[in-house]
Amino acid sequence: MSATFLGYPRPDGSAGTRNHVLVLPGGWECQQIVNMVNGTVTPTSADLGVARTRSDRETIARMHTGLAMNPNVYAVVIVTGGGKINEGMLNGLHAEEPCRAAGKPVEIIDCDGWDAIAQGSRAAARLVHEASAQRRQRVGASNLRVGVKCGASDPTSGLVGNPSLGRMFDRVVEAGGTAIFSETTEVIGAEHELADRCVNSEVRKRFLELIEDHEEVARGVGQDIRTINPVPANIAAGISTLEEKSLGAVHKGGTAPIAGVLEYAERPTAPGLYFMDSSVSHVVVLPGMAGAGCNIVFFQLGGGGWSRRTLTGGQGIVAPQMWVTGNPTTAARVTGIDFSSGPAISEGRSIEEMGDKLFDLVLEVASGKLARTEMLRFFDPVQYYLPGPSF
Amino acid sequence: MTAASAIQLAPTDNVATMVSAAEDGQAVTVNTRGGRLQINAAGDIPFGFKIAVADIAAGDQVYKYGASIGQATADIAVGTLVHVHNLAGLRAGGDTGRTG
Repeated sequence: MSATFLGYPRPDGSAGTRNHVLVLPGGWECQQIVNMVNGTVTPTSADLGVARTRSDRETIARMHTGLAMNPNVYAVVIVTGGGKINEGMLNGLHAEEPCRAAGKPVEIIDCDGWDAIAQGSRAAARLVHEASAQRRQRVGASNLRVGVKCGASDPTSGLVGNPSLGRMFDRVVEAGGTAIFSETTEVIGAEHELADRCVNSEVRKRFLELIEDHEEVARGVGQDIRTINPVPANIAAGISTLEEKSLGAVHKGGTAPIAGVLEYAERPTAPGLYFMDSSVSHVVVLPGMAGAGCNIVFFQLGGGGWSRRTLTGGQGIVAPQMWVTGNPTTAARVTGIDFSSGPAISEGRSIEEMGDKLFDLVLEVASGKLARTEMLRFFDPVQYYLPGPSF
Repeated sequence: MTAASAIQLAPTDNVATMVSAAEDGQAVTVNTRGGRLQINAAGDIPFGFKIAVADIAAGDQVYKYGASIGQATADIAVGTLVHVHNLAGLRAGGDTGRTG
């Protein structure tokens, strides 16, 4: 029997794991609307395009459209700022046409300030009420679109945590779903292993060029990536070099063929496993995955270099964020972990068993069970991946 | 004192990862793909850290996961901790031009 979950079917054929009304593009009016109206979300980012290059502004526009098109979004409210003289691509309006074409309700609030807050809140409240009439239905696991970032890596990440998550990724891809991994820096030293898994020579070439360009950028600015990665928490936990970290990190992508290489927040056009270009910060990677259409995102935590910590979330913006770890000690002392593959170390369980258990939990969370950070009404601010210089 | 344990991830690796901490002089059972190897810890080695399973000369590549994770910066005797004090990465050194 093939795996299923209870999702929100969308007119474009996708299915959501959540049922949000998204308010774009972010900023104070959007934030006030979200404070006022339950069931709404907005990106909390300072990256609104000021002083950015054209290609970076295009990334912001792609991000807005991607979030709006995410299966977890029932409808979109776009606050244009009215007659505000603005860069056209930054006001969220890029999202309008694709949403209408996909049959997703869109409300344009063409004013600013108090008027925008009043009109936007009214529109958002109406759309949330409308959204609440939607019912979850049983849909195939092919509707899962998952994305992962690994962090605070320690040696359990490469041994257990990432391979278990990779097993879950394999299950998603086998079911006909989409899975995305990223963090370009953390492929350095392991790129040939991944290049051999690219589906064709074109994808392979693009993948290797991306890694080369990344190192070229480091050379160009005279910076040693090794002074920022591995990070102190990695070193404190026993990871010595970037290559070692990368070789452990790439296990999170599972073993499926790599169907393509994505720009940041680029939506894949077919199911499968993808590599997305991004920097390694979780406040950057996870929003980009939501922009690429992921309806659940994961933080695979090592945490061996950490003491106590209470986890927060919201980096998926519209996608629930789950925290998983392969370190039994981290699982015991960090608050907010959704799943531990630590028994693969402490009880000798197999990676396959851990990954399969995680897959089952993913189906539950996709069906509406909350990820543990979803209980918090706090959203960590996000950054978009804007590699161009700021002028 | 019972033996501590470590895991060698690929047969060509010259380091293994400790899955329990070892004290100086303690026996360490290294689980390899093919079987087991017995060595003694030369110094304390914490959980998750790397132990040399062969003598490694300064300048030699250090292998884990069957791939190079960098170069030894000192001679490393079997049973010794391998970490940032005797191992350096070879990639992404934008300041040195060393990019492997």
